[in-house]
Amino acid sequence: MDIGLLGQYIMNGLMLGMMYALVAVGFTLFFGVLDVINFSHGDVLTVGAFTGLATSLGLTALGISSAPLVVVIVFLSAIVCMSALGAFIARYLVLPLKSAPALNTLLLTLMLGIVLHEAVRLFYPQGANPQRFPSLLSTEAYSFGHFTLRVDSALLLLAGLAVIIGVHLLINKTKLGLAIRAVAQDEETAKLMGINFTLIVLVTFAIGSGLAAFAGIMHGLYYSEINFGMGLLLGVIGFSAAIVGGLGNIYGAIIGGFLFAALQTIGALALPFASAYKDVFAFGVVILIMAWRPTGLISEKVSERV
Amino acid sequence: MNAESHLLVARELTKRFGGLVAIDALSLEVRRNEILGLIGPNGSGKTTFFNVITGIYASDSGETVFDGNDISNLPAQAVYRAGIARTFQRSRLSLPLSIFDNIMVGNHMHLDQGLWFNLGRRGAFKRQFEEQFERARELIKIFDPPLADRMFEAVGGFPMIDRRRIEICRALISQPKLLLLDEPSAGMTHEETTQLMNDILEVKERVTDLTVIIIEHEMGVIERITNDCVVLNFGRKICQGSYQEVAADMQVQEAYLGIK
Amino acid sequence: MKRTLPEFGVLLPGIAGLIVLTVYLALLLQVESQTEIAALLVIAVVAALAATRFGVMPRIGRSFREFEGPFSLAIACAVLVMVAYFHEDHFILLLIATVIIYIIVTLGLNIQFGFVGMLNFAGAAFFGVGCYTAAVLTKNTPLPHLLILVIGGLMAAFIGSLLILPVLRTRGHYSAVITIAFGLLFKIFLEVNDVLGGPQGLHVDGMNVLGWEFNKNIEIGDDLEISFYVNYIIVGLLVLGLSFTLVRRLERSWIGLNLDAIRLDETAAACFGLNLIRWKVTAFTVGNFLIGMAGALYAMMVGFIAPTNFTFGDSLIMVSIVLLGGIGNPWGLVVATIILVIVPEKLQAIQEYRFLLFATMVMLMLLFRPEGLLPRPLRTYFPAWKPR
Repeated sequence: MDIGLLGQYIMNGLMLGMMYALVAVGFTLFFGVLDVINFSHGDVLTVGAFTGLATSLGLTALGISSAPLVVVIVFLSAIVCMSALGAFIARYLVLPLKSAPALNTLLLTLMLGIVLHEAVRLFYPQGANPQRFPSLLSTEAYSFGHFTLRVDSALLLLAGLAVIIGVHLLINKTKLGLAIRAVAQDEETAKLMGINFTLIVLVTFAIGSGLAAFAGIMHGLYYSEINFGMGLLLGVIGFSAAIVGGLGNIYGAIIGGFLFAALQTIGALALPFASAYKDVFAFGVVILIMAWRPTGLISEKVSERV
Repeated sequence: MNAESHLLVARELTKRFGGLVAIDALSLEVRRNEILGLIGPNGSGKTTFFNVITGIYASDSGETVFDGNDISNLPAQAVYRAGIARTFQRSRLSLPLSIFDNIMVGNHMHLDQGLWFNLGRRGAFKRQFEEQFERARELIKIFDPPLADRMFEAVGGFPMIDRRRIEICRALISQPKLLLLDEPSAGMTHEETTQLMNDILEVKERVTDLTVIIIEHEMGVIERITNDCVVLNFGRKICQGSYQEVAADMQVQEAYLGIK
Repeated sequence: MKRTLPEFGVLLPGIAGLIVLTVYLALLLQVESQTEIAALLVIAVVAALAATRFGVMPRIGRSFREFEGPFSLAIACAVLVMVAYFHEDHFILLLIATVIIYIIVTLGLNIQFGFVGMLNFAGAAFFGVGCYTAAVLTKNTPLPHLLILVIGGLMAAFIGSLLILPVLRTRGHYSAVITIAFGLLFKIFLEVNDVLGGPQGLHVDGMNVLGWEFNKNIEIGDDLEISFYVNYIIVGLLVLGLSFTLVRRLERSWIGLNLDAIRLDETAAACFGLNLIRWKVTAFTVGNFLIGMAGALYAMMVGFIAPTNFTFGDSLIMVSIVLLGGIGNPWGLVVATIILVIVPEKLQAIQEYRFLLFATMVMLMLLFRPEGLLPRPLRTYFPAWKPR
């Protein structure tokens, strides 16, 4: 195989992996603090991407065309809005069901996901059709043989890396992170230590949802297109990645995200004739991995045998 | 050691959770028809011992012999069939189900589980249902006769003491040889506890061939109903004997009170 | 047995309720004007609230519980009366048939979700397995069509048994994701697969039982023509009757008790000897069988199937019906299916918004009334039985 083409595949895989990892970290954060799965996470990503798109269109309409400024505002607006949405979801939908069966939270967030993406489909202008996402970053490219390095891709990857490092520092080096870890470890004890449980949950949901918004914009910028259904696939794969990494384990989630991207890329490389089946392949792998290691590849949780 | 006189023999049982050794080479014999008290501070491995015996956890090493048969690491279902039934520390009844339903869950091995029997032969099913209903009613009458008239009410509507009674009935309905009671007094007042212990003693009197292991924190209870006590600390047996002997033991005082 | 007055008192609310409901449904199906439909729906909501407020609902419920057999037959008769009334209106009869088929589907889901507590977000996929089985078998084999219904169910049960291993090894959230992944996989697979018609889908032959052609209108005399959908309604009612009896008997047996015990506390259930795997497999398989059988009937009725009929959204609607109706209560399913299938078809304004609306309804339900519209009553093994 041509080295350049291989590079292209790797670049593509890294990009996918970054998005999956960002989504998976959200899932794993929510699970950490509240032991719930927020199935609307993928659709929060969709709404985040559309918020970003609307912002960029709005800025264009206002005549603001300074590219770096637009990019920053687009990212910020999407992240801020989705953080707020995430906190809202935690406060009014997830926390009220805290003492109900876990099943109810699962169903509630699934239905919320439907509400979110249906709202986009129905109420965003022409929302039922795929939307072109403007190329806000430099589209310059450098060619090395068959390998074309697009500047925007490189920037996005670096930004994603920065965000992941940021989350790492936040969780491990700040007081807030300490509080989040305390709540994740033992809610009751954390409360006794004077940690405001509700606030920490809201903040965690805000952080996770902000990450989803970031991933959504990344998706838009990289593929130049977004649609109302994009969250479903990213959500399911992100969730699977979080499981593979062991729910609650942030590094596991990141590794899981890249692992999935690698699998998909290898699948596409190995079975070029069956490219139509690539999503079938991805979901098949999700099922198989969960059958193989139901509590994740990395986790070492004690579970009852029955 | 006489196999005839011992119903349950545990040898060198060990269970670890990661780095934590919950029970550590624990050996224990339980004589037939006695009530054995299992005491020890929180986290000393009492409930883990129950969970290992009943097959909820697999032990890391050691063996368990019950009634002459090796039951080490059998699945929970097989342990139940061998004749061990239990209650749980935090009552684990199915609150939305009726008293009768809850008791019948414990009666699993006396109910015909065939698909055709259940779906096709309603007449035969009805006969079995009526038979088992009478059995359940007779059993619960020992504990509290008024409950026998409320068999089809949801358990969630009953106070804690009734729930404990129902839970013990659920364990007893299968006529086990060994009954494991995990802190039956938890969450109850002193009077309620006394009442429940009376019930347990009454059952013990009526049923021949019933051995009981009871985990308890209230020393009054232990003193009153047990023949023999085992004290655990850090997953090890530190003392065994009658209540008086155990109470006098220095190590026990140390474990509980921290007296050096 | 002598009918006594108190028994009549128990019966009366049920009879009255049945008549009112039948007339109301007929009216709702008949009316075309959108404002009138909206008005009818508002009346229904107000009436339901009032009936709950004044304690009419529990009395109707009691009639149905104590005389379930007679009332089930009466409901079947009421459906037939409605069918006779609308005998040439294809659209309305198709709606009635669809409701019947969807009730069978949700009965299957109810065994999985309501009884044993296994989530199945691939309902539409198993329905699709039944549909595609019917499509392939009616085209390529001379198998009798009633047998194809059964094979459709068996195929769904079989495909389900491939999923059972991952589902059994995981719990709660995890197995939910497995079924979601399978549902998505199934639809994408249909779309990219040429053998099964790809995105264009497949044509399905109409049902034919011993020369009785289901897809022909029935002509009696010169001027009485009955829509061919009536054939499917009759077969649908029969299948529904069997499924309903099955689900009822299952619930009112030790098996139903086992399933509930496993749903509520697996560990405790295992400590009392319940074989978790056996009962989960039983529930999952029987549930998928019903769903697949319903799918096969549906495919033969509509004559044409495509991947877009089997989306994740459709699976969610099926789950929504179970949730809205009252988890575990088959009568709740009947009511919820009628609402969720008929209302968006009649009220054109909400057709486009139905996913949004249903999802919102389910969310509100989960937050404020998690037991559903008609909460499941405690188990009675024999409704009229009293302890001696």
